[in-house]
Amino acid sequence: MRQRVASVARLTAPFRALLNRFAMLLLVLSALAIMFLEKVEMEAIDRVRAGVIDTVAPVLDGFSRPIATASSGVQRLEDFFSVYDENQRLREQNSRLLKWQNKALALTAENSTLRQMLNFVPEKGTETAAARVIGDSGGVFAQSVLINAGVAAAVERGDAVVSDRGLVGRVAEAGRKSARVLLITDFNSRIPVVSEKNRVRGILFGDNSSAPRLAFLPTDNGLELGDRIVTSGHGHVFPAGFPVGTISSIEEGDIRVVPFVNFDRLEYVRIITHFPGEINGRIVPSTVRTLQVK
Amino acid sequence: MINDALEHLDRSARSFSPFLTSFILIMISALPLYMPGYGQIVIEVGLVSVFYWSIYRPDLFPSIAALALGLWQDILVGSPLGLHALVLLLANWAIMSQRNFFQGKSFIVVWWCFSVVALVAALLSWFVVCLLNFAFINPLAVLFQAILTIGAFPFMVWFLARLQKAVLHPIGTDV
Repeated sequence: MRQRVASVARLTAPFRALLNRFAMLLLVLSALAIMFLEKVEMEAIDRVRAGVIDTVAPVLDGFSRPIATASSGVQRLEDFFSVYDENQRLREQNSRLLKWQNKALALTAENSTLRQMLNFVPEKGTETAAARVIGDSGGVFAQSVLINAGVAAAVERGDAVVSDRGLVGRVAEAGRKSARVLLITDFNSRIPVVSEKNRVRGILFGDNSSAPRLAFLPTDNGLELGDRIVTSGHGHVFPAGFPVGTISSIEEGDIRVVPFVNFDRLEYVRIITHFPGEINGRIVPSTVRTLQVK
Repeated sequence: MINDALEHLDRSARSFSPFLTSFILIMISALPLYMPGYGQIVIEVGLVSVFYWSIYRPDLFPSIAALALGLWQDILVGSPLGLHALVLLLANWAIMSQRNFFQGKSFIVVWWCFSVVALVAALLSWFVVCLLNFAFINPLAVLFQAILTIGAFPFMVWFLARLQKAVLHPIGTDV
């Protein structure tokens, strides 16, 4: 009996091997099919992704908290050793900022008088949602982070995401209570920007490096190292005037911008869910609207 | 009766452990670590796990597990869906086809083989991403990531071997 089983096994072995190989092929083909599907049918795949992330978001949230605590402990220790230098620096900064404060107060007063003279209708303020970063490490092929706020907090795909330092990126996919934020350094990131000083418009192209490339500029742009770059508000996606970064290198048409945001230490972010001038996701310049009011 | 059921449960839980540990390791690797530079370049823990279990417990690590882990990693880190699935599947297939070679080989040999697998996997994923985006991506970061993963290999293997010893009985015996 045992012999017969053995001979049957010997007989079926090549078929089973073939089946195994075929199964492997089938699995590889399904992986390729999924890749192709994502390329042509973004919406459905995005929903699946968002659904899965939504399910595991509480776990990620729970795990990331102790890491954040440990990291801030280390940070505190580092701060302790540099307390004297830091104090010195802050004193200098404080005296500089006091001058700016006076200037700002004067300008605010002037601005409000001018607005009164023009019968200016104030726009609805910016609405934001706050969120914690719960997932990181896009690896080399995707520069993105996961946050613990989603559609339930009015976060939608395409919303701008900022930190206390400047622009972080935009929401690439939103689940109910979680979302993925595409960083401005990602390969697929395109941000309409403008230089703060001489108002030269351009597009900031992410290329997975730490310093995105500034392109689509006029030939004689007069940009210099250290120029501040802010969002221009063109393209109906971002509110205008958010700080993005400074120009770090100019080499034969290859202009690089170092972001203000330190993506390594990103813990809390704000999502701009509504901003002045945004109407149904489109921006109408305020000058146009004032004309309409008249 | 209850004992039988418990034993059965225990056994299936143990036999599930290679997949489960890989699953959890991939999730941990996606957590924000607030470390400078980490995040752009990460250790490919999925690849190490698949490599390890495909050599040492292929009976508990079917190819479909490699596919599932790859998809899980793609969803979690935001890479093109199917990219890691393809890479991990091919790595699994390559090891399975050379399984006899790995029998009784020293750690250095295994490490060397892993280095080759990691570099090929890095180049393959780089090529696929370039193709998907119709663009040339700087391959330097991809190579750095492979080198970091190769460097982390002994530590991860140490951990996985401890786990295997603690949870699973030697191969050939019951689970």
